[in-house]
Formats: sequence, C-alpha cells, structure tokens
Amino acid sequence: MAKFYLPLFLLLLLVLEGVAVDFLPNSLVTGRWMIAAHWVLLYLVLISIFYDLENTYVSVLYAIVFGLMIDIVYTSVLGVYMFIYPLVVYGIHGLKKLLHTNFLVAVVLAALAVVLADTGVYIVYSFIGLTELPWQDYFYIRLIPTLLANLLLLILIYPLTKAKLSKWSTERFNTSGKF
Amino acid sequence: MSFFRRTRLFIILIGFIVLVALIGYSMSDRSNLTVGEEFLKDTVGWLQGVVHRPAEFTSNIFSNIDEIKHTYEENQLLKERLADHKSLLYEIQELKQDNEELRQILDKTESISDYEPIQASVRSQSPEPFFKEVTINKGEQDGVKKNMAVITGQGMVGKIKSAAEFSSTVQLLRGFDGTNRISVTVSQEDKEDESGFVIGYDEEKEALMLKLNSYESEVEEGALVVSSGMGGVFIRGLEIGTVKEVTPDKYGLTQMAYVTPAADVDNMDHVIVVNAAEGNQQEEEE
Repeated sequence: MAKFYLPLFLLLLLVLEGVAVDFLPNSLVTGRWMIAAHWVLLYLVLISIFYDLENTYVSVLYAIVFGLMIDIVYTSVLGVYMFIYPLVVYGIHGLKKLLHTNFLVAVVLAALAVVLADTGVYIVYSFIGLTELPWQDYFYIRLIPTLLANLLLLILIYPLTKAKLSKWSTERFNTSGKF
Repeated sequence: MSFFRRTRLFIILIGFIVLVALIGYSMSDRSNLTVGEEFLKDTVGWLQGVVHRPAEFTSNIFSNIDEIKHTYEENQLLKERLADHKSLLYEIQELKQDNEELRQILDKTESISDYEPIQASVRSQSPEPFFKEVTINKGEQDGVKKNMAVITGQGMVGKIKSAAEFSSTVQLLRGFDGTNRISVTVSQEDKEDESGFVIGYDEEKEALMLKLNSYESEVEEGALVVSSGMGGVFIRGLEIGTVKEVTPDKYGLTQMAYVTPAADVDNMDHVIVVNAAEGNQQEEEE
C-alpha cells in the first residue's frame, strides 16, 4: 500500500505548500521575513528515518522526482531542488545509521536537513544571480524564520506519520524481502 | 568499499553536470514551456484549485468579521467622497465623448490603451520566496499569453511569465529586474509630464525604482505613475503607483524616483489579465 500512499502524500504536501503561503497572515508575508516552506523535504526526511532500511534508498528516489516537480511548478529554474533535495536526504540517510531513532533525533535531523537544503538553494541562486541578498541578511531574514516555521510543521506531522511509516516499512520490506 | 565510494562520487558529479545543464536550459530565453512542464503545472494547478476553495471560504469568514467592525466609519467617509466623485463623473463623460469625436475626425479607431480583460483567480504563491510569483487559473486556452500585463482594480501587479494550457505563472512587480522594464509616464497636474523606465524593485525601501529619462525632470512626491505603452509590451494607462521620493542616482547622471506600487499584491484574490487589442499585437510583430 505504501507504494501508492507515499507519493500521494508527497504530492499533497507539494500542492499545499503553494496554497498555504497564499493564506499566510499578511504580517508574515509583507514584512521583511522570507519563509520558505520545505514540507516535502520534511516528509522525505521522515521517510528516510522511519521507512527506509539501511540498504534501501526510496527516500532519495522520491527526493529526485519531487525535487524536479518543485522546480517545475514553483520556480522557473530547473534542477536546483532536484539536485539539493536528494543530496541532503542522502546525507540524512547516512546519519541515521549512527543515531538511535527517537523524536529528538528526528527533530535534529530535520532541522539539519532544512538548514542544509535552504542554504544550498541560497548558494545556487546567488551564484546564478537570482538573488543579491548578502549572507548576513539571508541568515536573519530567511534562514532562521524558515527553520522555525518548518520545525513547527514537523512537530505537527510527526505523531501523524511516524507509526504509519514504520508499519508500511515492515509490511513492505519483510514480505518482499527486497527493494 | 572503495568501489562504492568512487561510484557515489561519480553519481554526485553526474548530478552536478545535470544541474548545470538544466539551469543553463531554463535560464536561456525560451518562449514556451515543454509539454511535460505544462502538464505538470496544469495538474498541480487543478489540485490547488480543489484545495484553494475551502481554504478561501474559511479565511473569508474571518476577514469578513474583521471588516464589519469598521463598517460605520468607512460608510461616513465614503458618503463624503461620493459627492466629489459625482462631479468628476460628469467631467469624465464629457472628456470621453470629446476623445471619441476627435478620434473619429482622425479616422483612428484603435488605440494602444484598448484591451480585452481576462478574469482570473489567484491559486497559489511560490513557496520559494526568492521567486515573486503567483499562479492563476487561466491559461492559453483562455487566451493568456506570455508577457501580458496583469492588473487588479487598484493597478498593475505584474506580467505573465509563462502560460500553460489551463494555468499560468505571474511574475509580480516585486520580482521585476533589469530584463523586464516598463516604460512609464509620470503625470503631474501643474507641471509637464515626465517619462522614464521602471528598472527594478528595491527590497529595503519596498518601492519600485524608476529611472527618469532626463536629469532636468522635476517630479514631485505623490505624482501618479502610469504605463506609457511605449515599450510595446504593456498597454498605455495602467496605473503603477505613486512617487515616494526622488534622489539623484549614485553617479549623479540621472534621477531615480522610488514608486510605491498602487496594488496590494498580498491581499489579492482576483486579477485581470490584459489582452491587448488584436490590432496592436500585429503592429508589434511587424
């Protein structure tokens, strides 16, 4: 079942990202703060922590596909998210082997993923001249608000998804035995 | 193990090459989206439409309650203004008639300020803040094309960046840079009109940067800025904003005016795509 649910849920998050930003309180949008929604990335991190086994890379595969979709739908420059999301998710996948998985570790890993991905996106965009925001400004205006907003969402979706992901993982990898 | 490490490096390297190639492809000046992009944009756009409606409904309830609180004060103010507007209305009617008669004398029926409105609703905003873009629910099937101006009742908000079959992407004025300039006229009551170009957006001042054509131009704060139609992309007479301040630019050769946009981009739900009248487009192509 996970075969269908995972991409469906990722697609739903992708769709909601854009609509949610449209409905954010105006004080957040018009102010100096820039908040980027990395909801798809958060779910990919949860997949890599709770669904993927040590030698399966479902999360990285989805990161490539949905990274490209974000590029196409929301930005006019292709390839940036498609490159950075899989790289970050792969790193998280490597890190989770070293740590015992619990709520705190998930939060730390997700925070790390958001910081790495957002910084990566900023570096690529400033390299190709899409933004001229200086590094310090970026840090205060965008990175910190983005991190806080995304962690808030993680705390919301964590209890909803964790048990399901673990269940799907055992269902899929124990019965079929291979990826 | 070393074999795996090497393939990993190899894959990252290939990924990097793909990244550079894709960026190069999308930064090149392409006129149309590929079929795959259009399909994906339309599909996600349709899903967003489904999600957007209940969300809009609930958010409207709250803003309606907020508005009811201020109704009395607003009503008083509006009544006062109404009297002024009536006299203005007669004046406009007369001017319109005058204009039409003069045009008939000249045998010129089409003007660069004629357009066909295409009504559209805003569906989503890019979650990537570096892109000041919103998606609307009308596409090529409804006659939307690249580079058309997008306005609300208050003024111009942006232009069509790309159009898929059933949805299109609007680049907001906030996201304008040197490559998409707007030719504008600064209209003043007691002085001569001045012309210039909107060359970008200043994030810190939250205003559009308007480069005035001549150094001697005298522009007052509060002057109205409208598109002049000279660029060939946008029609004449779209309201853009009001002048906030005027300063000499950093080399002292020209003057720079900062323009506060007239339209409230963050609160808009419905927009109008300006489809310039058929005759004009043919002229532009020639």
